[in-house]
Amino acid sequence: MINQIETLYQDTDYDLYFGPAHPGSGNFGVKLKIDGEIVTNARADPGYLHRGFEKLMEYRTPIQNAVISDRLCVLEPLNWNLIHAEAVDELMGIDIPERAKYIRVIMAELSRIQSHIIWFGVFSKGTGFDTGFKIAFGYRDYILDLFELITGGRVYPAGYICPGGVRRDFPNSAKDKILKVLEKIDEMIRLEKLENPALKARAKGVGILGLKEALRLGATGPVLRASGMKTDVRKDDTYEIYDRFDFNIPVREEGDCYARYLIGIDEMIESIKIIKQALNEIPKGEVIVSSLKKPKLSVKIPSGEVYIRNEVARGEAGIYMVSDGSDKPYRVKVRGPDFLHMIPVLEYLLRGTQIADVPAVYWSLNICPADMDR
Amino acid sequence: MIKKETELLDEIKSKYKLEGKIQKERRICISITKNNLIAILKELKNLGFIHLSSISVTDWLDEGNYEITYHLWSYDDKILFTVKTKISRDKPEIQSVTPIWEENAQIHERELHELFGVNFKNNTDLSPLFLEDWDGPPPFRKDFNWREYVKENYYDINNKRETVYYD
Repeated sequence: MINQIETLYQDTDYDLYFGPAHPGSGNFGVKLKIDGEIVTNARADPGYLHRGFEKLMEYRTPIQNAVISDRLCVLEPLNWNLIHAEAVDELMGIDIPERAKYIRVIMAELSRIQSHIIWFGVFSKGTGFDTGFKIAFGYRDYILDLFELITGGRVYPAGYICPGGVRRDFPNSAKDKILKVLEKIDEMIRLEKLENPALKARAKGVGILGLKEALRLGATGPVLRASGMKTDVRKDDTYEIYDRFDFNIPVREEGDCYARYLIGIDEMIESIKIIKQALNEIPKGEVIVSSLKKPKLSVKIPSGEVYIRNEVARGEAGIYMVSDGSDKPYRVKVRGPDFLHMIPVLEYLLRGTQIADVPAVYWSLNICPADMDR
Repeated sequence: MIKKETELLDEIKSKYKLEGKIQKERRICISITKNNLIAILKELKNLGFIHLSSISVTDWLDEGNYEITYHLWSYDDKILFTVKTKISRDKPEIQSVTPIWEENAQIHERELHELFGVNFKNNTDLSPLFLEDWDGPPPFRKDFNWREYVKENYYDINNKRETVYYD
C-alpha cells in the first residue's frame, strides 16, 4: 500500500479537463494529458452546445430560418444572418435593392468589429490582463447600442438581414451615430495598441502555427493570415459589394499568438475604412424587394443547390443549401470556421506547450464554440 | 472571364468520363462515380485545390442514395470546385479522403459518420464527436423523426403536464 502511494506520488503525469464548464473555456472542452508542466496530448471534446441547426433548418421556412441563423454564432449573429440570406437569395434568383446591399455590408462590418473586440477582451482575460477585458467590453457596448437602434436587438438581430434585403431601413440618426461610434472604436484601438509588456510576454513566440501546417489543418481567416497567407474571401471570392471598396488584407509572418492578436487589431482598422466608404456612397431607395416586403410564412424556394462562402470574423464560413422546390430547404450544411480551428488546429497547437500557455493559445484562435457545434 | 474555369474542366474531362459544368464565374461542379473519387481528388489537389472547404452529405430518400459533396478551393486560381458522388443509402460506404487532406478531411468525415452513418474506409478515427452516449440511428437521416424519438424516450404520456406534446 505504502509502495503504491509512493509510486503515485512520484508520477508526474495526469489528465486535466479544460472546460466545458470552465469560465475561461466557453462551452467547449479539451482533454489534456499533462506531464509535469508540459501538455503531451490534447483531444478536443465538442458537443456541449450541439443543437442540430442543420436538421432544425430542414423543418422551417426561410423566414423562420433567418431568425434561427442568428444563433449559429453568438458573437457575430449578423454575419451568419447575411450568409443565410445570400443562400436563399441566390436560390430564388433575387437581386436585392442597391441600398440594402450597402446596409448589409455596413452591418456585417460593424458585427466583425464587435466580434474582434470580444476577441481582444477574452484574449486579454486569458493572459491575465484584466484591464483589456474591461476596455473591450465597455467599448463593445457602443456597437451594441447601434444594433439596438437599427435592428431592435442588442446581440441577436432576429433575422434583420433577411432574404430579399434587410428588414427595415436605417433610422435618420443612424449615419451620425455610426460615425460617432467609429470614433470611439478608434479610441479603443489606440488603447489596445499601447504595448502591454505582460500581454506581450505571454503571447510572443507562443503557439506558433507554420504556414504549411495551417494549410494542412484547414485554417482560414485571421489564423491563416497570421501565418503568412494573403487571402480573404471578401477579396478572392468577392460577394455582396465588397469589390467596390478599397481595403487591405493585413498579413503577418510569425504565426504566433501575438501575430494573431495584431491581425485582429489591423482588421478592425480595415473594417472602419469599409464602413466609412459605404456610408459615403449609400444611395436612397427601398431596402427589401417588393415581393418579400410583407413577410410570408411560406415562400417556395426553387429547386437547386448553392454553396455560399463568406468571410466572417473567425474565417471562412459557408452554407450549402439544397432545395427540392418546396418551401423548406431540403438540406442545409453549415461550415463554421471554428470547426477546424477548434479541433485539428487547437489540438496541434496545444501539444508540447506549457500548461500556463493553454489559455493564451486557446483564445488567440478567436474561438466561438457555437459555430463549431452548431 | 471564365477562361481558367474552362481549361480546368477540360483537363479533368479529358482524363475521366464525367459530367460537369461551369455554374458561373469561379464555380465549377462535376458529378463522378465513386470508383474514380480518389484519383480525381488527388488530381485536383495537384492542380492547386489545396483547401478542402467542406464535405457534405445529402440524403435523397426517394432515390435511395446519399449524395456526398466535396467543396474544394484553390488559393491560386480562386475557384471553388464542387465534386459530387452518389453512394447507396442502405450500405453507405466510401473511400476516405484522409490520405489527401489529412486532419482537415478526417474531422469532416468523423462528423458525417456520426450524423449520417457513412462509413469512410481508411479513416482511422471515426469516434463519436458531438453526441455522447447516443445509441439511436444516425440522427440526420431523413427517415429519422426527431419529434417521435423525443416523445418515446423523454416524455411521459401519463404525466399531466406533458400530455400537450401528444395532441
